[in-house]
Amino acid sequence: MSSALSSEQGAARRRGKIASFFLDDHRYVLLGTSAVALVGMLLSSQPRPAMSFLAQAFTVELVMYYLLVAWLVVSAIGLAVKIAKWKTYDEVSPFTKPAVRRVLRYASYVIWAITLVLIVDRVVMGIASAWSVAVAAASQASPKRPDGMLESMCYILYQGRQTFLTGFITTVELAVFGTVIAFFLALLLVFARIQTIDRPDNDFVRFWKKVGVGFAKVYSTVVRGTPMMVQAMVLYYGVFGLFRMTSLTTTQINGIWTTFLAGLVTITLNSTAYMMEVLRGGIESVDAGQLEAARSLGLSQWQAMRKVVFPQGIKYAIPGLSNELVINIKDSSVLSVIGTFDLMFATTTVAGIYYQQFQTALITTVVYLALTMFASWLLGKFAHHFDVKPQPVGSSSDAGVAVGTEEVSAVPVRDGEKHRRGFGQGR
Amino acid sequence: MTTKNATEPMVRIEGLRKSFGSLEVLRDINLDVMPGQVVTIIGASGSGKSTLLRCINLLETPDAGHVWFHGSDLAAEHVDVNSLREKIGMVFQGFNLFNNMNVLDNCTLAPVTLKKMGKSEAEQVAMKHLDAVGLADFARASVSNLSGGQKQRVAIARALCMNPDLMLFDEPTSALDPEIVGEVLEVMRGLARDGMTMVVVTHEMQFAKTVSDRVVFMDKGVIAEEGTPAEIFGSPKHPRTREFLARYLED
Repeated sequence: MSSALSSEQGAARRRGKIASFFLDDHRYVLLGTSAVALVGMLLSSQPRPAMSFLAQAFTVELVMYYLLVAWLVVSAIGLAVKIAKWKTYDEVSPFTKPAVRRVLRYASYVIWAITLVLIVDRVVMGIASAWSVAVAAASQASPKRPDGMLESMCYILYQGRQTFLTGFITTVELAVFGTVIAFFLALLLVFARIQTIDRPDNDFVRFWKKVGVGFAKVYSTVVRGTPMMVQAMVLYYGVFGLFRMTSLTTTQINGIWTTFLAGLVTITLNSTAYMMEVLRGGIESVDAGQLEAARSLGLSQWQAMRKVVFPQGIKYAIPGLSNELVINIKDSSVLSVIGTFDLMFATTTVAGIYYQQFQTALITTVVYLALTMFASWLLGKFAHHFDVKPQPVGSSSDAGVAVGTEEVSAVPVRDGEKHRRGFGQGR
Repeated sequence: MTTKNATEPMVRIEGLRKSFGSLEVLRDINLDVMPGQVVTIIGASGSGKSTLLRCINLLETPDAGHVWFHGSDLAAEHVDVNSLREKIGMVFQGFNLFNNMNVLDNCTLAPVTLKKMGKSEAEQVAMKHLDAVGLADFARASVSNLSGGQKQRVAIARALCMNPDLMLFDEPTSALDPEIVGEVLEVMRGLARDGMTMVVVTHEMQFAKTVSDRVVFMDKGVIAEEGTPAEIFGSPKHPRTREFLARYLED
């Protein structure tokens, strides 16, 4: 215990004064829990929802409230002592004594528990109450949207559930199928991209290698240099126009070249270009000696790539590749421009019915966030399985792709680059 | 030309030139390696030793000149380098073991892929060579768990599994601790005793002195001097050779 303390103090001396105050002896216990206590007090001062269970136990909540206040007072005293005895705080303050520290820690658990109870009472029960109000309003003979914000959102979600569900499923399908198909296309394309002229190649092989590399380069530049929304329109109306040249009627064409199919093709072709660059980055970050060693044994370029370089390169590429799924969940939203019935299209539909743009958008935000978080979590598990460090949620690092893709920055960035860097799925 | 006899060189390098950009690394190199010979190439860093070695199996493409191996010119356009490389083993300074495979798979990859050898047959051959370098117990070990000396011995075994006629060593001990250099050199000595044709780029002067049949001293992209170890180490003629060896003898 004493050795732990002295190392803490040693660390304190190495840091700045302010930083050490926040990070060392008071770190979670006084300051952190004070923030928690404040949240609890704020919740306690909110009006009770209909389903609140603390409404029946007013005294209990009063005691809880004053416990939170007491914690803030203790913290304030701690802060005052620290400010008054800045230099000698470690020696003179009662707060640094082991016994007091232990008591404070246990007390902090109580504060956390109280706040948790208040969160359940106000937030969870609040949503539950609003939901029941909304459902009751919807099941009346002439449904009328309730007034409150939360009730209104619940009402919209309940009434538009079928629309939302259709959109949700379409979005998931677009993202999952699009990413999976794009992965295999990207594998093909990256093999074309990384071809180099080898000594034994005859002129025929050399020609096709050059064609392959050229095609991959042009494809990547064009696709990554134009917005996906525009790509969707060009593809949808372009192919539609091609079908018009046949004897098919418009209805028949709509049956074949559906907006879903057009959306899926768009997202696949778009993702292929990005995934190819990710794969190329992974392959190029494999030590050149691996290829040399394989070639020195007599393996052909293709054999060396397939058996030695590629299995290692794909490991480096896994974080960037899995990222692409999360990006596609979000970017499928632009496909609503051609009428693909995804979550975004469902949102505008529902919002149009109830004239409630903000509330509907907020619902959609929560759904997208839950979806991307779930996908991130799942992919993290997957990456762990391959012994690869997953990209941390909330970072905007380019680590997954940075290696060996200098050319990426030379091309205009993908549309909505800013929002791509949003929630931990930055590329 | 393809008939092989002891009087005909296994490797003949003629007028070899190589530049990296404006830097001329090799300037008109001529060198013969007879079957069964051990040739060591010594010289200061940047003198072109490694580039010369890498030109022999075409890891570097020469700008001009010829590299004859068993009568085929590797420097010619469209030559089937892959099948020629099967007969030329190479050991690298940085080991370059395949990180995605275990020790045994490292050794069997090329024989299985190129010689259409059955997996079990290739493994038998590999075990024989691993045993010869003292690493039979590590056959199933992951490459990353080996020490530098062990890695290099696996790399030698891997090259031998292709049953090469010629072995190239590119500073095989430079990345190793002085303490474990010996275990790798011992394996190389054994190979030399068995009559393997070897071209070795090295800074181990003792090895060059005791094992090689011929020593080549390179300086600034040319072969400044070549001869038997006794000639080079006993009575070097070129002033650069003397200067270079004097620095080593100080240690």
